[in-house]
Amino acid sequence: MLYVVLFFTFFSLFLYVLLGGADFGAGIVELFSSRENKKLNRDTIYKVMGPVWEANHIWLIILIVILWIAFPEYFNIIIIYLHIPLTLVLLGITMRGVAFIFRHYDAIVDKSQDWYNRMFRISSLITPVFLGMSFGALISGEIMITDDFSETTFSEIFMHPWLNVFTFLTGLFYASLCAFLASTLLIGETTGDVRRMYSRKSAVFTVVLVIIGALVLLYGYLTDMVFVKDFLRNSLSLIAIALSGILLIPLWRAIRKQHSIFTRIFAGIQILLVIFAAVNTHFPNIIITQTSEVNMLEGVAPDEVIKVLAISLIIGGGFILPGLFHLMKSFNMINPSNSTEKQ
Amino acid sequence: MENLDYARLQMAFTLGFHIIFACIGMVMPFFMVVAHKKWLNTRNLVYLDLTKAWLKGVAIFFVTGAVSGTALSFELGMLWPEFMKHAGPVIGMPFSLEGAAFFVEAIALGFYLYGWKKLPETFHWITGIIIGVSGVLSGILVVSANAWMNAPTGFDVINGEFVNIDPVKAFLNEAWFTQALHMTLAAFAATGFAVAGIHAFQILRNKRPELHKAAFKIAILFGGIAALLQPISGDISAKDVAERQPIKLAAMEAHYETERGAPLFIGGIVDEENKEVTNRIEIPKALSFLAFGDFDAEVKGLNDFPEENLPPVSIVHYAFQTMVGIGSLMMLAAVVYFISLKKKSWMEKRKYWWLFALLSPLGFIAVEAGWVVTEVGRQPWIVYNIMRTSEAVTPMPGLKYSFFLYLGVYISLAITVTWLMRRQIKVLNNPND
Repeated sequence: MLYVVLFFTFFSLFLYVLLGGADFGAGIVELFSSRENKKLNRDTIYKVMGPVWEANHIWLIILIVILWIAFPEYFNIIIIYLHIPLTLVLLGITMRGVAFIFRHYDAIVDKSQDWYNRMFRISSLITPVFLGMSFGALISGEIMITDDFSETTFSEIFMHPWLNVFTFLTGLFYASLCAFLASTLLIGETTGDVRRMYSRKSAVFTVVLVIIGALVLLYGYLTDMVFVKDFLRNSLSLIAIALSGILLIPLWRAIRKQHSIFTRIFAGIQILLVIFAAVNTHFPNIIITQTSEVNMLEGVAPDEVIKVLAISLIIGGGFILPGLFHLMKSFNMINPSNSTEKQ
Repeated sequence: MENLDYARLQMAFTLGFHIIFACIGMVMPFFMVVAHKKWLNTRNLVYLDLTKAWLKGVAIFFVTGAVSGTALSFELGMLWPEFMKHAGPVIGMPFSLEGAAFFVEAIALGFYLYGWKKLPETFHWITGIIIGVSGVLSGILVVSANAWMNAPTGFDVINGEFVNIDPVKAFLNEAWFTQALHMTLAAFAATGFAVAGIHAFQILRNKRPELHKAAFKIAILFGGIAALLQPISGDISAKDVAERQPIKLAAMEAHYETERGAPLFIGGIVDEENKEVTNRIEIPKALSFLAFGDFDAEVKGLNDFPEENLPPVSIVHYAFQTMVGIGSLMMLAAVVYFISLKKKSWMEKRKYWWLFALLSPLGFIAVEAGWVVTEVGRQPWIVYNIMRTSEAVTPMPGLKYSFFLYLGVYISLAITVTWLMRRQIKVLNNPND
């Protein structure tokens, strides 16, 4: 039963990184667009992501709920020591969610749209940055777990572990991953000039992503970071990263041939490989502190709890997944090439 | 003020904010599908306009409720990590089911929002019902988790660890049904009266009266029925609290002395220092009867409990009085509405519409007051008689700043949403502009 729970944990993580990430990315792409393209992007993402945009973010809630029920001690460390970046993530999610709905559902269209748009774009950038920083903090080996707060300063325990060069790079890495995802996926949804715009963006963000990814590893290597060293020694993780790089070739071919299903599949697999590479390196010790490593599977909730949780997840999944699939299908999100005449 | 106080304030404030949005998000879909059904049956454009206007409202409230709910799912751990570490696995079941129900709601909302002219009409309408049903289900599940904090069960505490956990038993704790019933009715009553009141005010302004009367009728039907049923649910809740949490009952009534045939206090000023209530109205023996169904039953007073286990009595007492007072007013207003269905002449009078317009915000004040009673009345415990709130709070200092940050953000959100609603109404009233 623990495996069912673990499956749903990583399944939610994957879908949140993929779907939530594409959502954030759409806002980032818009932020880095010319005035004219901003408007095109705004209309495109409303059309393309509209019906599922809120559902994309519920994967985060599912993930959090699983963590606190099944892995209480592990969750306890995350939630105490990453209080500040997670608060900033929440603010970002709040701003972004309301800005999206305000800009599309305000009854009167006037100057206030400029505010909604600005809020949407900026929060789309900072939220994934702080999310990436939080993950970076977990693996950076800077977290200091202590009961005695008199010996240390606030900054040492609650600021420095997530606010340093490495975490900043991991934050930028996730943000550029989001932008890469969004611009790549949106190519398949559009035609003509808009399509060319997304193709250009996708190329730019691919380069940015690769550069930042290399910087993360280089910085970690030069500063003797445990996680990065282990990562570079772990052949499975390296293969996964190499594969996701190689997949860029068929991805670009699929894009050129306007084969949007393959485009999505390839992009999805790439994300899966990146997550696999990151998680595999140190699983189950996904928190690395200054002095020790925290095993996610130690202090796992009692069997009875895991059993009930697994059953709840299976039942919930039985409602959610077919519903979500049907939703995407109804609005031609699975095979958008059919959708042009219907819009 | 200490860190703990700021943590409490932040939790209270964000929950209080979320509750309003969650109530509206779970109840308004029902109004919407009724208007939608009327449009499908009559093809009267008024109902289509109304459905779409309410739909925009639902979307805005749903999202604000969703993001504030996401924030809460983190905040529970961020502010009360010790609580989540021990209680998380015990009350996980309602939360995981709630996550699923909420997800279904978001999927249904996707269908409904984007389905106009794209989906078959009946299917489209049914997705609207699913929004409402899964919304109410989410609400009930979350309340069940809260009920567990009042009636903790389904585990044993050995050496400070929660062991022998039975999640199903924890989920179906003694308080879940009474609390869920009371809260669901409250959501319908408060939202019904709030929406009806807004439309009543538009009728007074003589803007598209046909549309606003149609809207009023739908909203007040739900709100009125819930307001009439609420006193029954309140009575069940009071008896349950008397049984399980005698301190809370005593605090609600600011009842210091243990006595048989205890009187019910209405109003009154609580003097916590001298442990007495002045300027009160007394109804002899009524408290004993209401709490235990027996005019001579013994009601325990606050003086019989250790000082360190008492909640802030005056807050609980005033909140309780507010809730019951408003509840009674709403019940009377519901009676007025149902009589006016026979006496149509009442609806011609401006007084009639003013009554409902003025009642508009009160339901939500009662909801907030009710939550103050539940939550403050349980203090100093976060898990009743098991874990103190002070033991659960995060070790991170400086919660003051986090509190003011949330305060600022949520207040600006509330102002923006109110402003957006005014704009919706403006457009609804002037469809040809």
